[in-house]
Amino acid sequence: MKAIRTKHSALLKRIPTIVAILVLSIATLAAAGCAVRLIGEYDDTIDKGVSDIQQRAELYFSKLKSNPDTPFDQNFYDDINSRLAVLASRAASLSKYKIISEQVKELKKEFDDFQQIDKLQKRPFPVTSVTNAETLITTSVESILTLELALKRGAAPPAKSTK
Amino acid sequence: MSLDVGTLAGQMLAAALPILKQGATDAESFAKTEFTKIAQTIVSLGEQVASGQVNEQQARLFLDMQASASRTVLLTLEGLALLTVEQAINAALNVIKGAVNDALHFALIP
Repeated sequence: MKAIRTKHSALLKRIPTIVAILVLSIATLAAAGCAVRLIGEYDDTIDKGVSDIQQRAELYFSKLKSNPDTPFDQNFYDDINSRLAVLASRAASLSKYKIISEQVKELKKEFDDFQQIDKLQKRPFPVTSVTNAETLITTSVESILTLELALKRGAAPPAKSTK
Repeated sequence: MSLDVGTLAGQMLAAALPILKQGATDAESFAKTEFTKIAQTIVSLGEQVASGQVNEQQARLFLDMQASASRTVLLTLEGLALLTVEQAINAALNVIKGAVNDALHFALIP
């Protein structure tokens, strides 16, 4: 009981501090003359760059599905890797972009994994394997785009599933 | 006009709560669909390993891809949650803006 009273009393003592923090926060906002921003702004380069990577990946997946004897194509992976490196640098340079930066890294890991799968895979390439990889990469791309579009704040529809 | 902490807090909560609830509903809907897709991939992968279509090394790589996809979905949820909180804070400040600025005789909240 004594412990509860002590805790309650300690909380009461903190109220002026909490109010002071609230007033300071509002004053800081007033001084800044802007609304609270916890995550970065929409970036058109990231949006278009990620969509472009998806388009190129879809083309490769389509080739593998329509012709399962399509050989491993190192050029495809080199191209995707260079595009992802540019996007990673872009995301790293933007303010409050840690989340999208992490997502770009995860997307690169997925392509790295699929590159190894593709290299190991004897032809014909099983269509189910291609479809699985395609689904996973598409899920990641659409997740990044969903967040990116939400960063338009108000201009974008509310978050919803991608399919 | 004096400012009352309880009244201001109540007004802020009333403005913020619907936004937080809507944000949670949207995030749940997004997560449900995305995790269903990933679950379907896991099932399909299990079948492929069983039928010998992919070897163990490839299965591990697919599992790694799936973990990355899951992390990307969760990161989007984290980002959407931040946006929801941001929107709630701004709505809460906006709803008390008039009363606070009137009481203080200057535009504390822009």
